[in-house]
Amino acid sequence: MKTLLTHLSIVLIILSGHAYAHDPSEHNEKKENPKCEKMKSMDHSKMNSDDPVMQAMMKKCMMEKSMMEKSMHHDENQSEAGPEEEPAEDKAEDEHADHQH
Amino acid sequence: MPSLSAFLKSLILLTVFAFIGGGLFLYSGFYPIGADTPHHPVTYWALETLRERSIARVAKNIDVPADLDSSDRLLAGGADYNDMCAGCHLKPGKLESDFTIGLYPSPPNLNLPEDEHAHSHGPSDSNTNAIKRQFWIIKHGIKASGMPAWGPTHSDERIWNMVAFLQRLPTLSKDQYQILTARGDVEGTHEH
Repeated sequence: MKTLLTHLSIVLIILSGHAYAHDPSEHNEKKENPKCEKMKSMDHSKMNSDDPVMQAMMKKCMMEKSMMEKSMHHDENQSEAGPEEEPAEDKAEDEHADHQH
Repeated sequence: MPSLSAFLKSLILLTVFAFIGGGLFLYSGFYPIGADTPHHPVTYWALETLRERSIARVAKNIDVPADLDSSDRLLAGGADYNDMCAGCHLKPGKLESDFTIGLYPSPPNLNLPEDEHAHSHGPSDSNTNAIKRQFWIIKHGIKASGMPAWGPTHSDERIWNMVAFLQRLPTLSKDQYQILTARGDVEGTHEH
């Protein structure tokens, strides 16, 4: 009886894990970047910095910009290091070690 | 004047015939079940009243978060709305989709203000009731309408974020909507 209950508990734990494993990244198949350049063409006279919509757009674009800068910095470091300096596999490992977020 | 026992007998007979008639109709296959055949107006009214009364009763005790108008909620809810709801409930610049044309009843266009797409509620606290109603519907869904229950797979916080986004959706332009709802590189792909 105890064995049966143990097995049943394991199955239920596994199933409950699946039920709640709905992460936002699951929606990420059709990823689209925010078109922050459009903010420049918006009517600034109607924009209010206290408006949550305005604040949300600013936050989104700041985050996006910072991600792009990080990504560019990452690419620059890779190209500066050059392929001859060290084997590619070692280099990749080092970069991951340096780039823990 | 008919006696009470004769009246009761007639009532029982009527009930029995109603059950038999109903059963025969159910099994006959004559009911037009297709979504392209609208309900009789009386049936539609009855179902709509049933839905609204049921939701009003169960949603009245829901507590609305105080920070519903925060920019963080808008950002989090916008992306989810775009992925999970916009196909049926549309987005700025889109007036119809295959779902809005094909589903019956047609899903409400949530880009329109509340009084244009749905049902008005009490005069003073109508907005709060509408917010509670939206939360309940997203969480529990509605039977036989095409509206799924997102509660089993999404936390209350995520559902509140979507509700927060819905409050601002009718005021958004196409460009504002795109910026708020795009997941970009920030979400999901960069979790260490």
